[in-house]
Amino acid sequence: MRALGFAARSLVRQPARATLGILGVAAVGALLFDMLLLSQGLLVSMRDLLEHSGWDIRVSAGDLPGRGPRVQNSLEVARRIAALPLVRSTLRVRMADAQIDRPSSTPIRAAFEGVSALSTTGADMHPPWTVTRGREARGPHEVVIDDRIAAALGVGPGGTITLRASCVSDRESLPPVRVDVAGIAEFPFAVSDEDAIGGTFEALQTACSGNVGDDADLLLVTSTGDSNETAAAIRTAVPDLRAMTNAEVVGRLQQTGFSYFRQISTVLTTVTVSFAVLLITVLLTVSVNQRLGEIAALRALGFSRSRVVADVLSESALIVGSGGLLSLPLGLLLASVLDRILKDMPGIPVELHFFVFESEALTIHIVLLVATAIIAALYPMRIVSTLPIAATLRAEVMD
Amino acid sequence: MEPDREDESFVKPGLFLVAFLAFSSLAVLHAQDTPPGILVSRQLAASEGLTVGSIVRLSIDAAGTHAKEFTIVGIYEPTPDPAQLGVVPREVRLHLPDLLDLTRPAASVAGTEFVSSINVALVHPDDAEGFSRDVNARMPGILARPSSEAAGSAGPFKVLERFHLAIAVVTIMASTVFLLALTMMLVDERRETVGVLRLIGLPARRVLLQVLIEGALVAGVGAAFGLVLAVLSEGLINAFFQWRYDTALVFVRVTKDVALTSVAIAVPLGTSATVAASWALLRRGGLRLARR
Repeated sequence: MRALGFAARSLVRQPARATLGILGVAAVGALLFDMLLLSQGLLVSMRDLLEHSGWDIRVSAGDLPGRGPRVQNSLEVARRIAALPLVRSTLRVRMADAQIDRPSSTPIRAAFEGVSALSTTGADMHPPWTVTRGREARGPHEVVIDDRIAAALGVGPGGTITLRASCVSDRESLPPVRVDVAGIAEFPFAVSDEDAIGGTFEALQTACSGNVGDDADLLLVTSTGDSNETAAAIRTAVPDLRAMTNAEVVGRLQQTGFSYFRQISTVLTTVTVSFAVLLITVLLTVSVNQRLGEIAALRALGFSRSRVVADVLSESALIVGSGGLLSLPLGLLLASVLDRILKDMPGIPVELHFFVFESEALTIHIVLLVATAIIAALYPMRIVSTLPIAATLRAEVMD
Repeated sequence: MEPDREDESFVKPGLFLVAFLAFSSLAVLHAQDTPPGILVSRQLAASEGLTVGSIVRLSIDAAGTHAKEFTIVGIYEPTPDPAQLGVVPREVRLHLPDLLDLTRPAASVAGTEFVSSINVALVHPDDAEGFSRDVNARMPGILARPSSEAAGSAGPFKVLERFHLAIAVVTIMASTVFLLALTMMLVDERRETVGVLRLIGLPARRVLLQVLIEGALVAGVGAAFGLVLAVLSEGLINAFFQWRYDTALVFVRVTKDVALTSVAIAVPLGTSATVAASWALLRRGGLRLARR
């Protein structure tokens, strides 16, 4: 009988402890798997979001797009960028706080994204939202709204809403403005605790009663070729501003915004792996200690030293392997629960996920479990390899 | 809102702008007249080699347009902000009139600027709720809130608390399984001893009580050891992360509540695991247990 089959029979002989060992590894493995998903989840999710948005470069006045001071004279800046040969199109984005009036309830607070496109190549440009019903907003009196606003107001494409936006200061008291709803849209970068409205720059001017100015929160750029070269060209053309490729934005976020989750992921990965090693080591050691007589008898019957060592290693591999397999569905289930909890955090884009499956995470998970199986088996393997056959059998008989 | 020109308190709004400018266009100068005083964050002072008494120029753009001179009158430790973890706080703090003079657009008349917020100290702090309502009613466009409600950053920490709780639950479940497996093996090892105890006349209930006390003792000692380990590692973890992020933020704090909760979970759990593992054993007859 091969070592693996023999180890399987040893485990079947002790079903309760084998089951508990496997369940323990499954629970610890699930947590380990989740921490590996969390370690890169936000970055992977953010990279996907940025890449699917269709814009290669983000130009802003602050360290990160959308944060810090606004881009002054944005129309002139957009023109200078659009004139670059590597640039396909440019979109100015201006954010404003808005309140949508409701006849018999408190107003709905929303973020108004006003956009204005500029292209010297005639390329098609799409705003940073996706219309799911109706059509795109055009002109100064049309907007698109998200599903939550539509549901709260009972308004669909073709309806009208009354809103007041604050473009300069949230202390402004502006008159209400009625605008038409052209469509319902998804705003992937809208934060989870805030509703969103989209429209043209002109629509934003209408909502803010013309009190907007010429500054923009950021400029989105698509390039005709390599985005790094385009970003470098933009930095030369507008040296006061920061032009960041999607990869640079993700890299910047990696340095600042997401460090907490990377740290907790590292700490918990270390803790869970140590815990798993300890669990399997104790289980195997106690199990081996209880079977010393049996193992000595097998040695006396002709089992080689390497064979009994292989039996212990196989036992460890079976417990960790079975627990590891169980840990994958358990981990994915737990990840969805933890993701829902963390997505309640204010300021997180609705499309951003904390736990994202990646084949790399699965590979690391498997490598760590294999290492766990080997390391955990080292001490019990040493016990059986150095077991004195005659003395153990004698002690067993005397006992 | 018209700012109070006599206000000499430090203000936080607008500091990002100034901080950004500070590290992009700081230059130490010498001046004959003493310019207005500012405070500089420890991190900014360290990175730029600034000391108390240094004279610096601050401007609202990277080109240094309309720069003004200020004297560093102090170095301060920024209030730790978990939301800014990983971001080195390179900040300066100015008196509000100085900040407004520096940032006021050329077309604006002095006194027409807005401020982000006004902090009000009440004679009777318990009246905060009523005072807020009164201000909101009398001054449309102004939002007044008691300080307890204005802690906008509470949300993320509530979420993180729930996240940590969920992880703790999973860890406890894994620990329980581990503990059960371990106690089952330990109890199995003592099968003969239990058998002999039963054969010499001790009833199952008496043996169970002994197991229960043993379990409670082991769980209690384990919980105490865990607490000591947590207290010892608390300082190490805080020291490491404070060094890693250059912050005074406290990352781990073993409070009385945390310690009591841990003990309240660990001791009953450990005791129950021991009893559960022994239960099957005690249901067998003494002879069967003692038989090899």
